[in-house]
Amino acid sequence: MSAGDDMERRPRVTLREAGADARTPSSAAASGPVPEPATLSTISRATYLKEASLKNLFLVCAFVAVAGVLLIFLFVGIRGWEIFAKVGVWQFLSGLQWQPTAETPQFGILALIVNSVIATLGGLALGAPLAVGTAVFLSEVATPRARAIVRPAVELLAGIPSVVYGLFGLLALRPIAAEFSGGLGFGYATAWVVLAIMILPTVAAISEDALRSIPEGIREASYAMGATKWQTIWRVLLPAAKIGIIDAIILGMGRAIGETMAVVMVAGNAKVIPEGIFKPFLTLTTVIVIDMPYASGDHRTALFGVAIILFLISMAFVATIRLISRFGGEQS
Amino acid sequence: MSPMCPRSARWIRVLASCAALVLVSFASSGCRQSGTVSTTQLRVQGSTTIQPIAEMAKEMYEKQHPGVSVLVAGVGSSAGIEAVAAGSCEIGTSSRDLKPEEVKLGLVDTPIAHDAIAVIVNPANPVKGLTTAQVSAIFEGKTKNWRELGGPDLEIGIVNRDEASGTREAFWKIVLDKRPFDPTAAVLPGTGQVRFVVAQSEGAIGYISVGFVDKTVKALAVDGVEPTEANITDKSYPISRLLHMLTKGEPKGLAKDFIAFVLSPQVQDTVVRDAGFLPMGSEAK
Repeated sequence: MSAGDDMERRPRVTLREAGADARTPSSAAASGPVPEPATLSTISRATYLKEASLKNLFLVCAFVAVAGVLLIFLFVGIRGWEIFAKVGVWQFLSGLQWQPTAETPQFGILALIVNSVIATLGGLALGAPLAVGTAVFLSEVATPRARAIVRPAVELLAGIPSVVYGLFGLLALRPIAAEFSGGLGFGYATAWVVLAIMILPTVAAISEDALRSIPEGIREASYAMGATKWQTIWRVLLPAAKIGIIDAIILGMGRAIGETMAVVMVAGNAKVIPEGIFKPFLTLTTVIVIDMPYASGDHRTALFGVAIILFLISMAFVATIRLISRFGGEQS
Repeated sequence: MSPMCPRSARWIRVLASCAALVLVSFASSGCRQSGTVSTTQLRVQGSTTIQPIAEMAKEMYEKQHPGVSVLVAGVGSSAGIEAVAAGSCEIGTSSRDLKPEEVKLGLVDTPIAHDAIAVIVNPANPVKGLTTAQVSAIFEGKTKNWRELGGPDLEIGIVNRDEASGTREAFWKIVLDKRPFDPTAAVLPGTGQVRFVVAQSEGAIGYISVGFVDKTVKALAVDGVEPTEANITDKSYPISRLLHMLTKGEPKGLAKDFIAFVLSPQVQDTVVRDAGFLPMGSEAK
């Protein structure tokens, strides 16, 4: 009897100690003698070399990523900056006429910026609620069996090449929009649906991570207060995962504004601000893929200028995520 | 500590062998590349309109001349002209005439076929023919509804081509007389996409080479002339042009032989006709 009691009690004590150790290693080290960890000076020369070379290998990996970003930015910048000098930054950003092959070429990308923004925001307005709903379903509502079906399906969406989304939009969604509007079916409406489906997996996966990282105790506390499942999700879990969900939506926004192949097939590519949501439009990304095959001289430089603007927009997105994360971290 | 050593050693070995593999494959591909640059390779690049002719001619030519490989790429007329001028291919193909600044590049032009551009609408559209002026007014965005042309009360959906297209260039010169296209019209990058969208949308109108017209769309008569072979050959159909093969300087060697092959009856009477174009000698008949 007493031996059994001992055996039951002992693991519990060690568990608690281990937990304390993990959280505050310094206090544990101070309280008692701890075997010294192997440092690079105490091990053999061969092991030292392996350890050091592996460490450097990872440093090289990180360096390649940073160098890639820098090189692309430099390349695009060098090829494109001339257009700002030639046309003027303000003229380039605020001009409504994109007529690079006219006798007096005009390089204004305001229509393209407006189109990119409207296409992106519309896609987000449709896709983000859908994605957050999917995340809530996967993390809070679904039975393990339902999750085993839905999760792979959502992950599969992320793996579909964007040109396939474009084909789907062109062959399946565009005729529906055409039926609805009496036009050709190219336009914001079709692009919004395609973009909404495309950003769904990104936003859903990151939102689900955010929801799952909420400690189980918070859910239990909510239920203990008498809250229903819906009240727990709406009043407790979503606010708690707010920062993560905003991060997810901004990443989705980055994907939507940068999307090219799918958009080029459903947008109709008219270089104007369309008069309705069923009229063709051209965006910052699609102008590059449409014009690049034949662009030369200033026209080509202007396309690199467009690329610089896209680069700056995605930098702004990343900066926003970092700011929100930091701000949110300080608040909570 | 000791159990970690074999594992990391193995990883290093794996990494090292990967690196070695990459190096070896780079080196061998380099060798192969430098080995193939010889007289037995002919590169043909340019117009997507000419691509079906070039592809079929390539297959027949390679069968008759073992050891010769012809590489065909459809990159658009402008890109083809640029490529042959820069020397990155031996023959450039173009479905439009050379621009003045391109003539200066020292390119020699050999016409290989007639091509006509068909104005296509949905088969459900009751309109049978238009004048050149009416077609122009549609593509300039002045005519907005089929009702104005004797058709149903239906919005006209213009399907235009991208500016890299030789077909667009020819259509713009012949039909619009270089007046600007309606900027709000849909722009699609490819003949197939234009045909597909017109086939699916009742109010749509587009233009493609006669060679690519099929049963899914209806080709309109222009100025009362149907785009039939006879009408294109005798030049009564107004929207028509020549297809070109271009060489840097007079064609010589393999390029000369290939162009002669394309102009020979065994290509002109079969491949060119099958692709929906008209042979070069046919206006004489």
